[in-house]
Amino acid sequence: MTSVNRKWYSGMATQEDWWAVYLGLFFFFLGLLSIAGVDLVGWAVYPTKWVFNVPEGGKGAISHAFYALGSKYSLTAKAFYKSLGWWSIIWTYVIFTIATCIGAASMKWDLKRFFIGWTIIYFLTIATWFIGHHAFFAANKTNWHQYGLNFALSLGGGASFILALIFGLIIGNFFKGFANYLSVAAKPEWYIKTAIVFLGVKVGYLPIKAAATSAKMGQQMASLTGHLFLAGAVATIVAYLIFWPGIYLIARKMFKLPRKTAAVLGSGISICGVSAAVATGGAVRAKPVVSIMVSALVVVWAVIELVVLPGFFTHIWPGTADPLVAGSAMGMAVKTDGADAAAGDLLDEFMRNKVTAETNGAVVWPEGVITTSAVMTKVWIDMFIGLWAFVLAMIWVYKIDRRPGETVQASEVWHRFPKFVLGYFAAWFIYLGIFFANGAGAPEGMHVLKAAKAGAVPVEKGFRKLFFMLTFMSLGIITDFSKLAEAKFGRMVWVYFVALFCFIIPVAIIIAYLFHHGMQIPNIAGQVAAG
Amino acid sequence: METAMDVVITHDGRNWVIENDRLRLASPTLDELDVELARLMRARGMVKKGQVAKVFMGFDNATIPEWMRPFAQHYFNRVVEVRG
Repeated sequence: MTSVNRKWYSGMATQEDWWAVYLGLFFFFLGLLSIAGVDLVGWAVYPTKWVFNVPEGGKGAISHAFYALGSKYSLTAKAFYKSLGWWSIIWTYVIFTIATCIGAASMKWDLKRFFIGWTIIYFLTIATWFIGHHAFFAANKTNWHQYGLNFALSLGGGASFILALIFGLIIGNFFKGFANYLSVAAKPEWYIKTAIVFLGVKVGYLPIKAAATSAKMGQQMASLTGHLFLAGAVATIVAYLIFWPGIYLIARKMFKLPRKTAAVLGSGISICGVSAAVATGGAVRAKPVVSIMVSALVVVWAVIELVVLPGFFTHIWPGTADPLVAGSAMGMAVKTDGADAAAGDLLDEFMRNKVTAETNGAVVWPEGVITTSAVMTKVWIDMFIGLWAFVLAMIWVYKIDRRPGETVQASEVWHRFPKFVLGYFAAWFIYLGIFFANGAGAPEGMHVLKAAKAGAVPVEKGFRKLFFMLTFMSLGIITDFSKLAEAKFGRMVWVYFVALFCFIIPVAIIIAYLFHHGMQIPNIAGQVAAG
Repeated sequence: METAMDVVITHDGRNWVIENDRLRLASPTLDELDVELARLMRARGMVKKGQVAKVFMGFDNATIPEWMRPFAQHYFNRVVEVRG
């Protein structure tokens, strides 16, 4: 069956990009109903730290290792959600299985295989989430004594991400038959794009959360997310006008690659990975195999970056002195939305735990701000790929490979536009609108903001984290490092290596420093202590 | 100007291929493909002397491997004007 993007609405029922919007916004709207006093998302499962032997007066009982977020945040059904406990795993499974299977059926995937694969991946993810929240991995020195420990790795939720990636990579590289079977449901791009729509809820909710401390802090947070939005635009200029020409020249002059291959590789390495490689391949009318080879390289290198960069940025440079520089640099350096958002969230966990440990709990950063800085940068880059490919197509079709009679249509820009960002911005701006429409943290509007919080937290915390976990696991499952050893990539592997470590990452850090240096994340230590 | 004809374009590893229910053409380069298309349309009277016919070529995204499609759902569409 053919699949051609002929009309503006082509693919709305069959593309993952659109289904990330549907899935994300459906649960976003369910959450929004809390403002009307109806809590339909409180069943969202969430893990907490645990130990085998709880010390006297301490905490961490296994029986409480999973809970429904509504048990903490619901205003209308707290008792019911409290009764779910571990059963919230099953509630979350059933509801998301129905939702994802509807999407899979609409996208005409093998539904039986998707269902089985999804089920296996979901429960593997939950098991990994559980292991990763053992206090030895997740606690830090401000609270490890509460779990009866004298030492812990202080990785926070990051441990779960790392373990999910490791388990996924083991399956993907040592159990290839099993990985192939799971591949129908191992969809990191779908999961991460859905998670990014949930992240939109997070960005809009951050001022509401901060307003619990003071109206001023709520407004500071709204201002910070606005600044991140504008600063992220700079990344677009960097990616398109500095990275792309640089990589193109490296590929052409140093490695003598053909013009079209250099253009596709330049986009893959410098802009947004596979989507850029495909868009550019199409724009310059390259044979699809060129984009396919570049894309295979991109996904493997992106996972290597995901493993290396969060730790590097946290412990070597810039560290907790400039967390938003690190987040933004991540957005510019890591290709593919999945790897970037995952790396951003890992960085968020590492940085927050480090600063809390370094200051003995005197400084606590709200979750998600650093992730936002990484994703905001990437979203900007993503949005312009259609325009960039359009410009390249004009140059190629009208100048370089001029063919009489061929024209480039403006509709190409829309066909290449990443649709999931529509969901991200809708979720963000609606929650931001709720914040400002209800006094921006003023006492008279706080009851509405509290009601909004009850529906926002399960989405921005529970669903978002779950989908990040699914992304890490799926990324591992579909990543086969043996692809790098395949000789046919030839010089492209080395172009990628040289370009990434000698050009992209250093320049990304410099640019991020120039535009994000000094931006401060509000300290919510007082709020945490009180609450 | 309305398009006179829609075709689906793919790449089979060696050739660019265009087809619909009335024609099928394959050529290693797009240049040669366009020349072949113009020749065939003139020969079949699909474009008259002095006329210009627009041909819409929609890329079949099923050509892109399934694992890549989630990252990018569009390769390219092109419109070619054929003069009679």
